[in-house]
Amino acid sequence: MSTIQFDNPLERRAAASLGMWAFLATEVMFFGPLFMGYVHGRIAQHAAFAEGSHHMHIVLGTLNTAILLTSSFTMALAVHASQQGRSSFRTWLGLTALLGLAFLGIKGSEYWMEAGEVSKASGPVLKFYFLYFAMTGLHAVHLSIGVVLVGWLWRGAKLYGRDYYSPIEVAGLYWHFVDIVWVFLYPMFYLIERYAK
Amino acid sequence: MEKPFTYFLTWLGLLAFLALTCASAYVPLGPWNTAINMAISCAKGLLVALFFMHLKKSGALLRIAALTGLAFLGILFVLSYADYATRDISPAAWAARP
Repeated sequence: MSTIQFDNPLERRAAASLGMWAFLATEVMFFGPLFMGYVHGRIAQHAAFAEGSHHMHIVLGTLNTAILLTSSFTMALAVHASQQGRSSFRTWLGLTALLGLAFLGIKGSEYWMEAGEVSKASGPVLKFYFLYFAMTGLHAVHLSIGVVLVGWLWRGAKLYGRDYYSPIEVAGLYWHFVDIVWVFLYPMFYLIERYAK
Repeated sequence: MEKPFTYFLTWLGLLAFLALTCASAYVPLGPWNTAINMAISCAKGLLVALFFMHLKKSGALLRIAALTGLAFLGILFVLSYADYATRDISPAAWAARP
C-alpha cells in the first residue's frame, strides 16, 4: 500500500516510526516534572516516603509489574506476527489488551484499599501519596489509552498484514514506552526500605 | 527484525530482573538499595528499548529521536536540582517560618 506523499512503503514506515518516537520524546517531558518532584521529595523527606512505601501492597505491585512486562512480550509478538503476515497477530493483540485490563483492575483494587489509609495520613506522608496517585494515575491513563488503541487494532485486524503493519508497530512502541514508565515507578513507590518492616 | 526466541529471552530477562529488584529490597543496604533498584530499572528499560522497541536494529535517526527526550530531561533535572541543592528556601516576609 503506497500513498501519494511517499515513494515506497519502506519510506512510509520509517516516517511512522519516527513520528511515534518524536511523540514519545514529548511524553518523556510530560512525565519528567513528576519525576523531578519525586526526587526532591524523596531526598527532603526520606523518612515519610519510606513510611508511605510500607503501606503499598507489594504482592499486587510485583504481580502487576510481571503482568505488564508479559503484555510487552505479547505486544512484541503481535508486531512480529503482523510483519510476517501471519493472522495470529490478532490473538496476540487481544491477549495484550486483556493483560492491560488485568493490570488496570489490580491497580484499581489497590486504589480502593489505599483510599482509607490516605484519609488517615498527614504531613509529608501526604506528599508521598500525592506523587503516588499523580504518577501511577497518569500512567494508568496512558495504559487505558493503550488498551483502547490495541482493542481498536484488534477489531480492525482485517486491514493489516505484511504490506501494512505500521499502525500495529507504532501502537507497540507506545505500549512499550508505558511499560518502561512503570518499570521505574515500581521501585520508586513499592520498594523504599522494604527491609525495615 | 528480531526472532520470537529473542523476545522470549528478553521477557525471561525482564522477569529475572523483576525478581532481583524485589528480593534486593529486603536486604538492608542503606542508600545502595535505591542505587541497585534504579540500575535494574535502567537495565530493564534498556532491554525493552533495544529488543521490544527494535532500537538494536534501528538506524541512527530513530536512536537519536529516542535519546533526545531523555537528554533534555537530564539537562532540566541537573539545572533544577542545582537550585535545590545550593540555595536555602527563604520564606516571603509575610509567610510563616517553616
